[in-house]
Amino acid sequence: MAPKDEFPEKSERFSVSRRNFLKTAGVGSLATAVTSVGVAEVEAQTGPAVLGPGDVPIALMVNGKRIDLRIEPRVTLLNALRNRADLTGNKRVCDRGACGACTMIVDGRTVYSCSTLAIEVQGKQIRTVDGLAKGTTLHPVQQAFVDTDGLMCGFCTPGFVMATVALLERTPNPTLEQAKKGLDGNICRCGTFVRIMEAAMKAKGVVRG
Amino acid sequence: MARAQNPQGRGGQAPPPPPRVPDKWKWPEKPVLIGTSVKRLDAPDKVSGRAKFTYDINRPGMIYGKIVRSPFPHARVVSVDLTEAQKAPGVKTALVYKELGSECMYQGDPVAAVAADTEERAEDAARLVRVRYEALPHLANVEQAMAPNAPVVFMGGNTRPGMTAESGDLDAGFKQAAHIVEQTYSTHVITHVCLETHGTVCEWDGDKLTAWVSTQAVHGSRDGYASGLKIPAANIRVITQYMGGGFGSKFAPYSEGIICARMAKDAGVPVKLMLDRKEEHLDSGNRPSATAHIRAGVSADGMLTAFDGKSWGTGGAGATSNFPLPYIYVFPNRRRAHTDVYINAGQQRAMRAPGHPQGCFLTEILMDELADRVRIDPVAFRIKNAPTQAPNAMWRSYLETGAKAFGWEKRHATGDAQSGPIKTGMGCSVHQWGGGGRGSRAHVDIMSDGGVVVKVGTQDLGTGTRTIVTIVAAETLGLPIGAVKAEIGDTNYPLSGGSGGSTTAAGVMPAIRWTTGKALDALFARVGPSLGVDPETLVAENGRIHVKGNPAKGLAWKDACKLISTEPISVDGEWGDGLSSTGTSGVQFTEVDVDIETGVVKVKRILTVQDCGLVMDKLLAESQIYGGIIGSLNFALFEDRILDRVTGQMVNPNMEMYLLAGMSDIPKIDIMLMNQPERGVIGIGEPPTVSTASAIATAVRNATGATIRSLPLHPHKILQAIEQEKAGGTL
Repeated sequence: MAPKDEFPEKSERFSVSRRNFLKTAGVGSLATAVTSVGVAEVEAQTGPAVLGPGDVPIALMVNGKRIDLRIEPRVTLLNALRNRADLTGNKRVCDRGACGACTMIVDGRTVYSCSTLAIEVQGKQIRTVDGLAKGTTLHPVQQAFVDTDGLMCGFCTPGFVMATVALLERTPNPTLEQAKKGLDGNICRCGTFVRIMEAAMKAKGVVRG
Repeated sequence: MARAQNPQGRGGQAPPPPPRVPDKWKWPEKPVLIGTSVKRLDAPDKVSGRAKFTYDINRPGMIYGKIVRSPFPHARVVSVDLTEAQKAPGVKTALVYKELGSECMYQGDPVAAVAADTEERAEDAARLVRVRYEALPHLANVEQAMAPNAPVVFMGGNTRPGMTAESGDLDAGFKQAAHIVEQTYSTHVITHVCLETHGTVCEWDGDKLTAWVSTQAVHGSRDGYASGLKIPAANIRVITQYMGGGFGSKFAPYSEGIICARMAKDAGVPVKLMLDRKEEHLDSGNRPSATAHIRAGVSADGMLTAFDGKSWGTGGAGATSNFPLPYIYVFPNRRRAHTDVYINAGQQRAMRAPGHPQGCFLTEILMDELADRVRIDPVAFRIKNAPTQAPNAMWRSYLETGAKAFGWEKRHATGDAQSGPIKTGMGCSVHQWGGGGRGSRAHVDIMSDGGVVVKVGTQDLGTGTRTIVTIVAAETLGLPIGAVKAEIGDTNYPLSGGSGGSTTAAGVMPAIRWTTGKALDALFARVGPSLGVDPETLVAENGRIHVKGNPAKGLAWKDACKLISTEPISVDGEWGDGLSSTGTSGVQFTEVDVDIETGVVKVKRILTVQDCGLVMDKLLAESQIYGGIIGSLNFALFEDRILDRVTGQMVNPNMEMYLLAGMSDIPKIDIMLMNQPERGVIGIGEPPTVSTASAIATAVRNATGATIRSLPLHPHKILQAIEQEKAGGTL
């Protein structure tokens, strides 16, 4: 039985929210908002490293491939991938961490990529829905969504698929209640929840973390 | 009727009498694919992220548009200065949309727009557009608009008397009544919250426009661009391969589409303009509110005698708000007068079963109150007063069937007598919807390698249109589902109507059936001579074309198609009468837990009995029903567009304060899908979303003993109603 903290709130996983970041950016010191260890070390030696406001080079590891981009530091992970790298699988819906359509897996944990800055996930392993299938062979979770009709318009689907993958990688055999809790950070407007849950239950035990 | 709000079909002109589909192509008696559970064909593309929605279209050199909107609910635009915005980094073009001196009538009314090389820079530049407004008096809600001393904000007055309907003898009806209930009932405004916001990508090639539009009507959107841009429709191509939810709000390019096209023309590069979530709430439609003061009578033996209702509602700034009332039940003597009330808020658009959820709620709560007066079980009371049973009016038998399956006999009388804070209750509700549809055209190619392509300018909103087009064509040709390719979502394909009002299945599938049949006839004409038989004796089954009743005398599909040499089979066809009809009925039952200490409602289970004519794909029809029910659960318990009563600003234009159900809020849902193959195709999008809110509300009443006469059923209202009930108030 997985302990309850197997399913922490998504927003707790990053100490810097986008809004806090921008607030801090507004008063001039960007580096104080960046919590990666690397930057903190640089800061200790040389004072605050100021990034932006113009384009800065960044490197992201996405679905096992390195992507080099020049973007403004304020650009979110979601926008960086959708607008600059044409990785459009994950969707932008609420754009403020409420609906889960942008859910990606970063170093094994789900994040709302609309509320995560691209620069803060450099050096981390980023997984998007685009990289889940192997060629034309769908991931077992994707296949379960297809088999149960766990989707309608399909706009929330990438986020739900990623949330389900993350859930099952951490808790391969969740109870119904655990699965519900694991997927509570996502919203579907067509009303496909019943069959998404069927898909999650169908895929359980098949996914290995 | 509210249906008229739906810009479905093409224009409102009376069509000539429709052609009739020949008997040969009536629906098969023993279908192989139709009515089975065929998996959604585009599901692999959607689960893998390969499906390209409008939001996902990235064109070479594309820039991003951003609209500047009125922050005031009512203001005159005095001046617009684009100078600073045009000088901002990355900006390629800017325009003034609102005529100077004209008035913005709601928060979010579009005024100007900019486009820049990145989204972030477009947002920066939009903030640099200097608009001078003269703030004007505004109306933030219906009460303000109807107040005797209200400022006249709308030309001709803030209220507009709508239709009045009267039949029977009202006085006589009330004289027959042993009990009279007189109360005011109401529902609130909700927004569509399409997950893919409204928007377009526009790209010009000389004077030709290609527009990717998140729309429920590719052809309708082409017409909208033609009139909005004053260019020939022939110069416009609209593409919608995938779209992320419309629910009635996406039938045209709207202001954002026209602005996008104009900026793309001016900038000379493609422009993407998708609304953000706040804009989506403010300016892409909503479901109008509904209120009615109703006086209704019931005889001692439980027959409805009279209904007198004055209703009003708001569809925002200058838009209508009508809805059916009373809903479904037979009141022999009745009068109803409706008034539209205008307020300074975004205009309503058709929203899944327009008008019906409102009329249903107002009537069903009343029905429960009347049933209690005569001490008759609510289901029995509804059966007594439902219209005569008919194929499109199955409520009496569905109520009986559903009640039995649901365990309705375990329902207690109003007010759960169990001790403890959690009260349990059951409720029910009935609904109807027209559906039906007509007028689509189609094109079918059969190629010499055996390939089949079906082309139709309809679109798939997530309803499964792409899949059921394929099912019908494959069924007709006796082929497996994978042997047919359906091409939809493009104005390059034959004319088809907008997808609204549950009309797509009935409007498109007869055209697919008949056109595919014609193509098959053309193939039979080639196969017949080579087999030395009359083509009229041939059938297509199990991947073969053979003499009826003699599978050995025939050819495999691929070999038959080899007979197509220089002249391909390429057939145009159209919708015909005889394969579809209109009118669906359904009933729903719910069981809820209400915590009377917190006011929180938890729906435990829902059962629906629902028909939709001939079921095309059982799996997809059930998904539609789940979706409709969950949408209505949101309407009942969560959603609410809240406008600040002083400033007229929407206070929850987002998805964390505008509440929607999540996984933990979803009850057990059981579907009894009643197939009516003899009626042909009808449609299933709207019906299931009508009743749920009413069935939940009647269950909450049964649980708590308190009557909540307005939606949403938010905890504070439930606690208030319980307090009132304790004080002897609500009955």
